[in-house]
Parts: sequence; structure tokens; C-alpha cells
Amino acid sequence: MARYLLKRILLFIPTLIIISLLAFVISVNAPGDPVSRMMSSAESGDVFQSQNAVQLQQQKLWSHRLGLDLPVFYFSIAPGSFPDTLYKIYDRQERDALKSLLYQFGNWNSIDAYHSSLKKIFLDLDWIKLDSTDQKKFSANEINEVISQARFNTLALLTTSQISVISIKLDEMHSLFFNYPFFNFMLNDDRETQKTFDEMKTTSERWKNYFPTLHFYSNNQYHRWLFGDGVYSKGLICGDLGISFVSQMPVLTIIWQHIGWSLLFTFISVILAYLISLPVGIRAAVKHGSAFDSCSSVILFLLHSMPSFWVATFLLIIFANPDVLYWFPASGVKPVSGYPADASFIEKVKLSLPYLILPTIAYTYSSLAFLSRLTRASMLEIIQQDYVRTARAKGLSERVVVYKHAFRNALLPIITVFANILPAALGGSVILESIFSIPGMGRETFHAIQNQDYPMIVGVFTLTGVLTLIGYLVADVLYAAVDPRISFSPQGVLWTKK
Amino acid sequence: MVATEQNRFRNFTWKQFKKNKPAFFSLYVLTFIAVIALLAPLLANDRPLYVKYRGEKFFPAFSWNKLIEVKTDSGAEVINSTAVDWKQMKLDDVVWAPVVYSPGKSDYANSNFVSPRSEQKFLKDGKLISMPSRFCHWLGTGSRGDDLIAGLIHGARISLTIGFISMFIATLIGIIIGILAGYFGDDQLLISRGKLFAIMIGILIAWFYGFQIRSNMLAAGLHNQSGGFLFQLLMSILIFSAILILFFQLGKLMERLPWLNKTFLLPADTILSRVIEIFVSLPIFLLIITIAAISTPSLINVMIIIGLTNWTGIARLTRAEMLRIRKLEYIQSAQALGFTSWRIMLRHALPNAFAPALISISFGVANAILIESSLSFIGIGVPPTITTWGSLISEGRENLHAWWMIVFPGLCILITVLAYNLIGEGLRDALDPKLKN
Repeated sequence: MARYLLKRILLFIPTLIIISLLAFVISVNAPGDPVSRMMSSAESGDVFQSQNAVQLQQQKLWSHRLGLDLPVFYFSIAPGSFPDTLYKIYDRQERDALKSLLYQFGNWNSIDAYHSSLKKIFLDLDWIKLDSTDQKKFSANEINEVISQARFNTLALLTTSQISVISIKLDEMHSLFFNYPFFNFMLNDDRETQKTFDEMKTTSERWKNYFPTLHFYSNNQYHRWLFGDGVYSKGLICGDLGISFVSQMPVLTIIWQHIGWSLLFTFISVILAYLISLPVGIRAAVKHGSAFDSCSSVILFLLHSMPSFWVATFLLIIFANPDVLYWFPASGVKPVSGYPADASFIEKVKLSLPYLILPTIAYTYSSLAFLSRLTRASMLEIIQQDYVRTARAKGLSERVVVYKHAFRNALLPIITVFANILPAALGGSVILESIFSIPGMGRETFHAIQNQDYPMIVGVFTLTGVLTLIGYLVADVLYAAVDPRISFSPQGVLWTKK
Repeated sequence: MVATEQNRFRNFTWKQFKKNKPAFFSLYVLTFIAVIALLAPLLANDRPLYVKYRGEKFFPAFSWNKLIEVKTDSGAEVINSTAVDWKQMKLDDVVWAPVVYSPGKSDYANSNFVSPRSEQKFLKDGKLISMPSRFCHWLGTGSRGDDLIAGLIHGARISLTIGFISMFIATLIGIIIGILAGYFGDDQLLISRGKLFAIMIGILIAWFYGFQIRSNMLAAGLHNQSGGFLFQLLMSILIFSAILILFFQLGKLMERLPWLNKTFLLPADTILSRVIEIFVSLPIFLLIITIAAISTPSLINVMIIIGLTNWTGIARLTRAEMLRIRKLEYIQSAQALGFTSWRIMLRHALPNAFAPALISISFGVANAILIESSLSFIGIGVPPTITTWGSLISEGRENLHAWWMIVFPGLCILITVLAYNLIGEGLRDALDPKLKN
């Protein structure tokens, strides 16, 4: 037994690593720029926005805080032209543009020179000084417009890799700088950019791309995500799932706040499903071929094929519809005005009960069908076995045979389903909770998906995966404890489970 | 001799399957739905099948060309056949499709959920009159007056396509993994150090040349939304496999060197079983909605995502069957004849190991349809311009009076899923050796 446990736990580790890798890959590839998401939700002071140098500094600060200024993984295979410090360009769009340029030309030194000259323009735009002649010559509106145009052009240039677009934009910039006297001090920068751009085009070294190079990084984003950096993040190992983009709260806190309702519904529905499905499944198996068996089979099969969102919507339009039957409220879990201040626990339950009934039905019916069919199948198999026949031949009553001898062995599949409660509650039923507006994890996850709140999504995904694994581990151990026939070979672990 | 044996097994299975009335009936139902899905543009179309206009004959529903030129007294009149409202035109002669509406096309005279039983309006010569029975919305309309039957007919197309293609992807993966795990087991895959090194390095290099260098082109293909991405992906896979084969051959050469020629057992079954186990323990639906939410909405993406996540059942069944088959005499004699493993696996073992996978595929299609409809219900993955059964129900949820928007699409899903499940059940019974006696 101890050996089996040890083996099982050892197998647990690679699975965990794969889950964490998968979650990490999702979060790295998620669209949008986390830095700008954080900056825009952290502060909205327009004063800072206009100061390019300050903005760059802010960007740098946030990407350091989020660990985005690190390489992605422990190693990387990159085309030979890529410098091993490319990750230090923390702005993702900029980095992608640079990569694309590298694929086109392959000469990092020239590309870098071109890029730095653009950066210099961006920073120098802060130093525009308007003297009185300018202010007489141009209206304030025009000046503002021209400056912002120069700024946007520079930003666009930093994230563009199409040569035709770049040359058009560079020409535009040149005419801007040339036509407006207060821009004249930038002409130097402009000349430099044009020069480096031409140089980049002429000294192409594309062949370098076709030689792979391998880089190793000990400190990287994945490592930081797992183990933390000691300052801003404690790491996944210590339960730090990051900070939500939307609410700026730790993901774990959000999960704690919302898991209650999901847990409640999952728990009630599983208990109810067992209470109904076990007797039905057993009866169907014992009276194999009877009218009850075929009837229940048909009904369960129908239930099994119904999409849960359809059943939920259907329940709503029948039982929560002022036109048909208005027995239950349509959404939420408690009265809109909240509980009375001095309500006791029982009063709260009483107030909430009407809200809970429809969701409970929707939650229960699908696992009901599944469980009954499972019970029936395993019961059928056991009832045909020799020891049951022996028990009958001994003259034991049918009740004792069924419930004492056969049922105990048919209980095995039930353990599996029970192991799933916790992960199911955490993932929540995304669809059902959205339909019934239950403030649980499922709805929270759905909101996170709609708002592209990736730390939250990835956090829920990781935690659900880990809990599923723990559930399976517990189930397997229970199996082995309950049924000594289960073999402890690696195959046995996996394949006895249904 | 062998052939007749096989025929007998096939005939026997087919007979068993036919005995299962519901399953057999489901086959008819599915054929019916498939025919509807195939003929959808002819069954529900707001362009007429045949039209005679100003003395000229046209077939707008059949033509790819959207613009139709009609000669008039004063030059030519150009008709955009998808944009024009044919019902308002003065036509000499016309043959309509059975349902005269296209999915998702607005009918403002009947907008905002008109029930199939209540009175419907038709705009004629600028006046609203009651609906002529030929143009009736038999199952009611949605929020913009879009016809429900047209949506259902075209939704069948989407559902079946998604079910088939995603399960095709899943089957491909599942069969390959299952057959490798089952055929080689833990005691059959002897590999030399040279080959193993060559393959490991080969995978890295093949990935570099196949995908990393081409990542630019792949991304470009992904953004312009056309078939460009599929072509680029195919090219990448081709390059990848070519380089891998090259390294495989290199490995054969390396085997001749002294230290590298040492062989050892690779526990293929244990490794692949772990892979399957890892996939089983992933929260699949959460994974699907996460990836679907991240990637650009498109049907192909949904198919690929569902396909990539639903192959474990097929792999398990194929593996179990393969573990049984590889002990049979005919495989052993094939091995004794010196056939290569590939040939034995693909030509001799696979045809027999495929039958149990059919069960899983059938259930898998049902599951894929359920997943797709759930995704469109919450509006993730499938583009909002495409009408599916799930999106119809989600439209109906906006308005609690519109029971028809919920009942009919739901019934469509239920019937299709039920048919696939019943067929799966029937196959299981027919193929289960325990029931043969």
C-alpha cells in the first residue's frame, strides 16, 4: 500500500507540471498587453500620459512588477540573428515588430540602431519649447494637434514592421519636423532615423535566421510564476495566483469570496443525485428487462442528451415567467434588498429557498442521469457473478443479497464522482451560474473571460486542475482501500477507473 | 479464409446492431438531418431558385456570382442578388425555396419576436398587409425578424460539420496514440541510443524550421482569416515531418557506431498512458472556453479546440483493443514474416482495433455538438454573424415570451445528440463480446 501511494504521488508531479505549463502558455499567449491594462486601471492621470519619459518609466516599472522583463522560459531556441537579450524589450507590440524586422533583415545591430533612434525621437518630443513667434504663427489647437500627431506616428513606427508603411510614416514625420519651426531641433534625430533605416535595409543578413541558437535562462517568467521573486509575487507554490486585471485584488481572495455558492450547489446536487439515482439504478438492475428498467432507461437517456443550458432556460420560461407560472424568482440567490439585518440563519435559508430550487434542479438532472446509468451498469455486472448466486442459493432474502452483498461492490464508481465535487465547485458551472445569476465561481470565471482578465482565468484553470488531480488521487487511494482486487500496477491505476 | 471470417464478424455486428431498434432508427434520423444540412442553401434561401425577370431567366440561389445584369430599355440594371429583397420585386415568374428566408437576415415587418401563432405582417407597395401564407414564418421570428426555420436548417449544417471535423481530428490523435501504446506495450519498443538521440534532436530542429522560422507567416495567415492559415500550417507540418524523417534515417546510420548501438526498451505504454491520464484530469470545458476566448472567433478554431481536447476516450479504447489484438496469432505470424511494425500496425491491426473506437467517436460527436452549442450560447468562439442552434437559444433568452426560440432549437440539439448517443449505445451492444452468446 505504501509503495502504491508513493508511486501514485510520484506520478502526480509530472501531471502537475504539465498543468502549470499549459496554464502558463495560455497566459503568455493571451492577447492584449498586461502592462497597459495595469497602467490604465491603476491611474488615469492625464498629466502623466503626456509625458513620454514618465510613461516609459511607468511601463518599465509595471513590467518589472509583473515580471514581464524576464525571458519567458528556461531555454529558448531562436534564429541566429536574435540577440539573447530581446526579452528586455518589455512592450510586447514593440518586441513583435522587432522580431518581424529580424525575420526580414536579420541584422540586429542596424535594427537596434534604428529602434534606438526612434526611441530617442519619442523621448525628445518631451522637450519641445514654444517661443512667442510660434504662438503667433500657429493656433494653439494646431500646435497640439501636430505634437500629438508626431507622438502617435512615433508610437506607430515603434510597432510597425512593414517596410512600405515605415517609409511613408518616416516621410510624414520628416515633413512635420521640417514645416514647423518648433520641431526643427528634431531634424537631427530625423536624419539619424532615416540613415539607420536605410542602413537596415541595405545590410540585410537574412541567412543568419536559418541557424538555430539555444539560450538558457535561470531566471525567467515561468520560474518566477512558480516560485515568486520575493518582492512582488510569492509564487504559485505559496498559493499566489497573481492579481486580477479588473478588480486589482489577489485572485485567491476573489476565489474565496465566490466559491461558497458554487460549493453549496455542487454539494446539494450531488447528494440529491445520489439519493435518487442509487435506488433507481439498483432497481433497474435487479429487475433487468422489466418495464421499470426500460422506462427509466429511456427517461435517463433523454435527460442525458439534453444540453444543460437548454434545461435551465426552459425551467426559467416555465416556472419563473409572469406569463406562465410565476412560482420562483428568475435570478439571484437572495432577495434584491438583501436579508433583514436581524435575520437568523434559518430565516435566511427560508428567504433564499425559492431562489435555490430551479438552479438545484438544473444542476442535479445531468449528474442524475449519469449516476443512475453508472449504478445500473456496475450493479448488472455484479449481480451476474457467482458469489451473488451463492448468496441466493444459501437462502438469503433478496434484500440482504442486493443491499448487503451486491451493493457494496457496486459502490465503487460513486467514489470517483465524489472526488470531482471540489474541482467542479471551483470551476463552477459557468453556464448555469450565468443563466441563474448565481454569484459563484462560474459566473466570476465567465466575467473574467468576457473582460479578458487572464490572471483570473489562468488561476481558476490551474487550481481546478490541481484539485482534480487531488480528487483522483484520493479516489484511487479509496479504491485501493475498499477493493483489494484492484491491481497496483501502473495500468491498474488508470484502467480500472470508469 | 481470413476474409470470410472478417465478413462474418462484420455481418454479425451489423445484424446485432439492426436488432437494436432505437439505434437503427437513429441512423435514419441522422441521415435525414444530414440531407437537410447538405441541402440547406436550397431549402432555406431568400434568393429564389428560379426567376424570370424582364423576360430573362435566372437561378439566383445556384449562382456564385452575386451581381446579376439585366438588360432594360435604358442600358443595364445590376442586381445584387444577396442584398436585394426579391419578395418586393415585380417578377414575371418565380420558384421559391421551401423556406423563403435566409438565416440571420432581418425582416423588419416582423421584428422583435413574432410568435408562430400570432399575426404576421408583410410589406407590400409600402403598406403593411397580413402575411401571405407562402411567406409565413412557420416557427416564428427572432429579435430582428430573422426566420427561425431558416436558422434551424442552417444550424444543422454548423452542428454536423463541427461534430464531424472535430471528431476527425480527435480520432486521428486518439488512434495514433492508442495504437502506439497498445501495439508496443511496455515490452516491444526496442530502440537504440543513436536513434533516440537523433529523434530528440530532430524534433527540436524540425520544430525550429517548421514552426519557429515560419511563425511570421503563420501569424499573418491567422490574421487575414482566409484559408491562408491552413495552407501555412500544412506547409509547416510538411517541413516538420520531412526533417523528422531525415533525422530518423540519420539515427539508423548512427546505430552503427559502437556506443550508440546499444538498445533498450522504451515503455511506450506507460508514457502514453500518462499522457492520456494528464489530459483526462484537465478541466476540459474550462480549457475550451479559455482557449476559445483567447483565439479569434472562427468555426475552424472551435473545431480544432474541441478536436484537440476530446481524443482520450478513443485512445483508451483503441489501446485496450490493441493490447488484446497484438497477442493474436495472425499478428505474431506477421511479425515472424518480418513485416515492419508500421505495416503490421496500420494494415493488419488497425482495421480490427478500429471497431471499439467507433463507439467513442459516436459519443464524441454528440459531445462535440453539445460543447459547440454551449459555446455559442454564451457567445464565445463561434463568430456572432453565424447562426447556430446555441446562438438561437441565447437570442431567445433575451425575451421570456419567445418560447419558440427556446423550444425548437433545443429540440434540434436534443434529437441530434440523442441519435448519436443511441447509435453509440447500439454499437457498444453490438460489439460487446459478452452479449454475443
